[in-house]
Amino acid sequence: MINIDARGLRCPQPIIELGKQISTLNSGDQITLYSDDPATEPDLSAWSRMTGNKFSKIEDEKFLITKN
Amino acid sequence: MVRVTGNFQSESPLHPKAFEVLHAAFENGWADPRKLSQSGSKANQVKNQAIESIAASLKVPVDSIFAFSSMTLGYYLGLQGLLTESLTLVHGATDRKDIFAIASRSSHHVLPSALDGKLISPDQQSRNSVLALSVANAETGVIQECEEIIRSVNPDRIFLDATASGIRVQGINNYSTAIFDSRSWYGPSELGLLVIKDKSQWSNPLPHLNAAHPNFEASLPLLLASAVAIENFSSEVEEANLRARKFNSQLRDSFAQIPDVDIAGSLDSSLPHLLSASFLNCNGEELLRGIQGDGFSVDSGSACTSDNLEPSHVLAAMGVLTHGNIRIAIHPDATQSEIDGLISSVKNNVERLRA
Repeated sequence: MINIDARGLRCPQPIIELGKQISTLNSGDQITLYSDDPATEPDLSAWSRMTGNKFSKIEDEKFLITKN
Repeated sequence: MVRVTGNFQSESPLHPKAFEVLHAAFENGWADPRKLSQSGSKANQVKNQAIESIAASLKVPVDSIFAFSSMTLGYYLGLQGLLTESLTLVHGATDRKDIFAIASRSSHHVLPSALDGKLISPDQQSRNSVLALSVANAETGVIQECEEIIRSVNPDRIFLDATASGIRVQGINNYSTAIFDSRSWYGPSELGLLVIKDKSQWSNPLPHLNAAHPNFEASLPLLLASAVAIENFSSEVEEANLRARKFNSQLRDSFAQIPDVDIAGSLDSSLPHLLSASFLNCNGEELLRGIQGDGFSVDSGSACTSDNLEPSHVLAAMGVLTHGNIRIAIHPDATQSEIDGLISSVKNNVERLRA
């Protein structure tokens, strides 16, 4: 499991960091993303639709992403 | 009033005929139309003619229309004036923030948006409700299925927000109050029109002494300029829509060829002159600056371009990517070479930012 701590980073940086990391993974691998940017949650929703990867919100500022 | 506008920004230019009227009014001066002097009577006559002209263009009775000076005031007058303690406000997730502000003070229910920007009609009707309904969204241009939403909500009263659609979309008549923004027909800013269809459903929400006389006013020169603008744009709107649709289609087709782009809504169900597109992994502010450097001014709904660092609530409600966003307004004076230049600029800047 990879952790990305993007707290303090503003959009689109959390999604860019996520995109870099996920490109190195295999299908089914997971990433935990920490982000306090208000744009991250709506952008994760759009990003997962566009890329086919899945995401769920675990708690405030913490998201679990599963590679397609 | 007379605005400094970018070529593709939402702030619309003033119609040339309206500019002439505005210029003449400020040069010659004007009397207070409420005074009984000869010049005051003349000013009142001119004011009434302007109201009659606007009412005719909007196809509403002349005694149902009132001018006001700020759009925030217009939302308050039009919507708050319909609300009572026993009524629930039903409105859309993509509505203007002014409507959210009014909703925060009363019992309310928000209709969610689908990915295409259309509001999702509720399964159950909302008895004892006021429906606030935006005909079209000012950011994305998405036009709502108004009749279907009205039928499914079945409200007691309807507030129609026609500020973005203006006279580009017509035919929705079963409302209690409606507001229009003069800028939508290339009239001056700081001027809106409130239409009160059913006076028995509306009460002036501003502190007032005489309910029969609205205590809000608008500048006479702005009203005259707005009347001239709507008279002229009424005869131009069909051609303007066709021309904007052609350019909009070119922009959408070109952007769709760029990988990882998220275009909000479809052209078939949107105002022809508006477009919102988001590019994955691009910083909205840097994209805006890059495009600006090429001589094109556009707007953005990305968080990094807003004062409060919040992303566009419209894009978020739709589920459209909020970062790397640009909003484009195609005005009547846009040219093919400008559109071609804008397409090249967007492509080059997206490529540069992703490198």
